[in-house]
Amino acid sequence: MESRFHQELEGLRMIILHMAALTEKALEKSIQAFSDRDTELAGEVMEGDKDINALEVDVDRQCLKLLALEQPMARDLRFIIGCMRIAVDLERIADQAVNVAERVVFLAARPPLPPNPAMAQLGETALDMLRSVIAAFVNESESQAIDVCQMDDTADELNVRILKNFLDYMATETPAVERSVQTIIAARCLERAADQATNIAESVIFIIKGVNIKHHCQRT
Amino acid sequence: MEKTPKMSSRNLDFYYGDFHALHSISLELYEKQVTALIGPSGCGKSTFLRCLNRMNDLIPISRVEGEVLLDNEDIYDPGVDVVSLRRKVGMVFQKPNPFPKTIFENVAYGLRVTGNKDGAFISRRVEESLHHAALWDEVKDRLHQSALGLSGGQQQRLCIARALAVEPEVVLMDEPASALDPIATQKIEELIHQLKKNYTIIIVTHNMQQAARVSDVTAFFYMGKLIEVNDTETLFTRPKYRQTEDYITGRFG
Repeated sequence: MESRFHQELEGLRMIILHMAALTEKALEKSIQAFSDRDTELAGEVMEGDKDINALEVDVDRQCLKLLALEQPMARDLRFIIGCMRIAVDLERIADQAVNVAERVVFLAARPPLPPNPAMAQLGETALDMLRSVIAAFVNESESQAIDVCQMDDTADELNVRILKNFLDYMATETPAVERSVQTIIAARCLERAADQATNIAESVIFIIKGVNIKHHCQRT
Repeated sequence: MEKTPKMSSRNLDFYYGDFHALHSISLELYEKQVTALIGPSGCGKSTFLRCLNRMNDLIPISRVEGEVLLDNEDIYDPGVDVVSLRRKVGMVFQKPNPFPKTIFENVAYGLRVTGNKDGAFISRRVEESLHHAALWDEVKDRLHQSALGLSGGQQQRLCIARALAVEPEVVLMDEPASALDPIATQKIEELIHQLKKNYTIIIVTHNMQQAARVSDVTAFFYMGKLIEVNDTETLFTRPKYRQTEDYITGRFG
C-alpha cells in the first residue's frame, strides 16, 4: 500500500509534469512564431506564462510543506530538492520563450531578414533537449539525462554561428542592424533555454544517483 | 594512519535458544564518535547493543559465537570480569530507572559499590557527573531529595550521570529519549553531542531523524543482519542498498 506521503510525492511529480508540458508548448510555440513571424502565436506564449509562474509557486509550497512535515530521507529527499530546482529551470525556460515571443512582435512589424538555417536548428536543438530531459525525468533515466548534457555543446555552437552570421551581415546591411540585434537576442534566449534544460538534466541525475554533477557535467 | 576501533564485533552470532537473532555481525565502533543502530522492531539492534557489555549473559538460554573486542581484547574471554567490563561499557536504558534514593546517592551508587569510601572524592565525582549530564544547575540545591521527584527528562539525565560517574569508556544507549517529550529529547540529544568529545557512544533508536541528528555513523540492521553501515550523511541521503533505502523512506513491508 502506498503511504499518504508517497501519494503526496506523486502529486508533486504531477505538478512538475504539468509545468513541463506547458513549458514545452510555450517554447515550441515561440520557435514556430519566430519562424512564421506569427504575432498571434507569440501572444499566446506571453499570455500563457502566468500559468507556468503559478505552478512554480505551487511546487515551492508543496516542497516546503513536505520538507517541514515529513522529514523525508534519501531518494525522497533528493526528489523534493530536485523538483524545486527543476521548477526554477522550467519557469526560466518559459521566460526565454516569452523573450523570443517579444522579439517576434518586433520583427514581424518590419521587413523580413534573409533566412538563417542555424536559427531553426538552434530552436530544434533547444526543444529536443527540453523534451528529452522531461522524458529522462519521467523514466528516471540517467543515460537520457547525460545525453541532454551532451547536446548542450550543439546549442552553444549554433548560437556562436548565428552571432557570426549576423555580425557579418550587419557590417554590410546597416539598415538591418536593429532587426539583426533582435535576432541575436532571440538566439541567445534559445541557447539559454538549452542551458536550463541541461540544469534540469543535472537535477534528474541528482535525484536518481544522489551525485551532484553541476559545473562538470559528464561528457564523453 | 588507519584508526583503530574502540570496540568491534567480528562474525558475531547470537542465539536465543533455537532462534538465531544475530547473523555474523562485523561492525567497528570508533572513539569520540556516535554510532546509531537503526532498523525495524526485532531486527537485532538492541540485541547487538546488549552483546557489547554482555547484558545478554543474564538470559540463560542465550548463546554467543564470534568475538566482541574492546581495545583489542575479547570481552567474551572466560577471564574477563563482567562487572569491570560493565564499568567500562556503561548503559542507559529506554525508561529512566533511578533508584529510590536521593539524587546524590543515585550518582554515587556506582562508586560506592566498587568500594570507594573517600567522601570528598565521591562528592566531587557526583558534581562532575551531574555537570557532564547537563543536570547540575537543575538539581544542585536538592541533591539530597529523592530522585523520584525529578521529571522524566531529568531522571534520564540522572541515569546518564550515574553511568558517567564510574568513568566508562563506552556508553550504550538503548532508545534513551523514546519516553521523553520533545524538549527533554532535545536536551538528551545536545548532551550526546557533548559527550562524544570524551566517550564512544552507541545509540539504538527507532527515531530515524534522531539517528540522523545525533550520530556520525549509522548502521542499518534487518532480520538479524547488518545490511549497511556508513557515515550518517551518506546513509540518509544516498544509501547503497535497496533495503536501507526502503526502510528510511518508509517503503518497508
